[in-house]
Amino acid sequence: MRFIMKRYIFAILYSIIFGLSLHAFHFKLNHPIAEDISRLMPVKMKAIKAEDDEGALKKIVLEAKENDDPISIAGMQHSQGGQTLYPNGILLDMKNHNEILDLDVSEKRITVQSGATWADVQEYINPYGLALKVSQSQNIFTIGGSLSVNVHGRDIRHHALIETVESFRLLDAKGQILTVSRKENSELFSAVIGGYGLFGIILDVTLHLTDDELYQIKTKSLHYEEYTSYFKKEVLQNSEVKMHLARISVAPGSYLDEMYVTDYYEANDQTKLPAYNALKRETIVAVPKFFLGLSRYNDWGKEQFWKIQESYTAKLNGTMISRNNVMRSDSAFMDYSNPSKTEVLQEYFVPVDQFADYIDDLRNVLTDEKDFNLLNITIRYVEQNDESLLSYAKDDMFALVMLINQGTDDKGKQHAEKVIRSMIDVALTHDGSYYLPYYGYPTKAQFNEAYPHAVEFFHLKKKYDHDDRFMNLFYKEYHP
Amino acid sequence: MNYKRFIVYQGTVGMAASMIFPFYILLIKNVGTSYSQFGWAYGIFSLTAALFYPLIGKITDKAGDKAFLLIYSWGMALILLAFPLAYEIWHVYLLQIIMGILGAIQKNTEKTVLARYVTKATAGKEIGNYHVWTSIGAAAAVIATGYLVDFLTIGSIFYLASLLFAWSGFQIMKMDQAASLSVEE
Repeated sequence: MRFIMKRYIFAILYSIIFGLSLHAFHFKLNHPIAEDISRLMPVKMKAIKAEDDEGALKKIVLEAKENDDPISIAGMQHSQGGQTLYPNGILLDMKNHNEILDLDVSEKRITVQSGATWADVQEYINPYGLALKVSQSQNIFTIGGSLSVNVHGRDIRHHALIETVESFRLLDAKGQILTVSRKENSELFSAVIGGYGLFGIILDVTLHLTDDELYQIKTKSLHYEEYTSYFKKEVLQNSEVKMHLARISVAPGSYLDEMYVTDYYEANDQTKLPAYNALKRETIVAVPKFFLGLSRYNDWGKEQFWKIQESYTAKLNGTMISRNNVMRSDSAFMDYSNPSKTEVLQEYFVPVDQFADYIDDLRNVLTDEKDFNLLNITIRYVEQNDESLLSYAKDDMFALVMLINQGTDDKGKQHAEKVIRSMIDVALTHDGSYYLPYYGYPTKAQFNEAYPHAVEFFHLKKKYDHDDRFMNLFYKEYHP
Repeated sequence: MNYKRFIVYQGTVGMAASMIFPFYILLIKNVGTSYSQFGWAYGIFSLTAALFYPLIGKITDKAGDKAFLLIYSWGMALILLAFPLAYEIWHVYLLQIIMGILGAIQKNTEKTVLARYVTKATAGKEIGNYHVWTSIGAAAAVIATGYLVDFLTIGSIFYLASLLFAWSGFQIMKMDQAASLSVEE
């Protein structure tokens, strides 16, 4: 009898604990925590939803409207300033909405759903001998995300992504689907592209493509003072050069002085393209990962990383590569998972003619910041384009992308904030600007100075999304 | 009879444990952010086990194997209810410490029961037979769970495994109070 009692008590106690645990688990599932690639700001969302169907997406918007829930739209979440996050909002994961809808080979035009990645598009168009006009150097991002940040890449003849867009369809705050192009709803064309997901859900996009081509790589080392004249004469004025990329040293021995450039020349014999046009896969990343890891560690590591980068690039001199392969650079070696540190990006745009002066001033700012762990600077070119309201290319600019290793705690953030604000000031003094997808370190004043059309942008936001249905932390930080 | 029950019991807990062991790494992956944290999570598990083996060994000889199997079953049933709720890395470390102790209890008791039961001359054959059944249980559980995760969530696997452990706990309780596992039939 006593024994049966004991079993009953056990059963009841266990059931209670089981029920409590299940209840807590249910609560946890209902309040998912989301964060972007920087891992600097985990945000508790109300729900995470992913749909591949237009009707379902529409339903989410209408339901959100009814419940007055904010929606944050997400692709790969590589934007680092909370552009895909909002507390207690609905995170709309677009990655499943990824079909290629139409390819017109003779017109070189593709229509693709916004959750597809550049890699998806490349695999689809490569067999037809077609290539993208503009994308990032890496191809892991979604089309919708790339449009929302209006990316640019290595191509020096095509510039910001907005140039290559014919039209797109937008699911707006009212749940209506609008076709947006330079002729139709044109006001939205310049607001949505580079608009950080604040006007609605981009459903699909029609983009212009170009031919896949064979390039010959030419590399060269030079000093930073020579770069502007080299670039203008040997690169911009030479119509054979199609793409360009440069690096400037962050190693102590050659700090912000030595550079090497990689130019992509149109190959003389294009009939050889078939030998090079198979899309390359990411190979073993152990070696670059190891050297990048060393460079995080100390100055000696930075010297080794610079040396290895330089000699690797020198080895590429004279080799051939297809356009599609230039536009699918490795990225896995940069994956970083330290629990107390993270890696953030910054990108500064500086008018071509001001480059050397800018670098001198930047060096002055950074020499006092011994603890600021700057790992890499890549330089590309982007021509003036003010089609997008939040355009960074106010002039013909060099774009410097910086990779920075920082702590994820408050101290790490405060230090990065201080240095980054000073670096933005340097860019602004030289009539430059900075790129918006990164962490919200810049002040509101810096934002307004770099983006003079921001007032108009926020005005349109109010006009088309009066109830702030589409929300993110970037908007919260910088809206007037 | 008792030994048969022991095999059924070991088969059940073996199944429940195999349900979660290959998969709970998936949960840790969601919680932890780096390989070094992974390493620590597993290192802590083995280290705590190492620290507790001597103690467990000493006490089993006095308290009897059954008491320890009971602690193991109910301990696992309860700890698994905490796993789905873990969201910070120290939660995982703490759970791994408790799992380390429970794992040590199971490993040690499994062996002491066998050692007390089998006859030396045929130990190889008997232990071989024992492993056949427990391994079959484990294999079936791992394969079935792989499919289950497709239908359920990783969270529900923990609840299922917890129920299995609870059931095994009842089985131990049901065994004749007087009969010690080590007593031969």
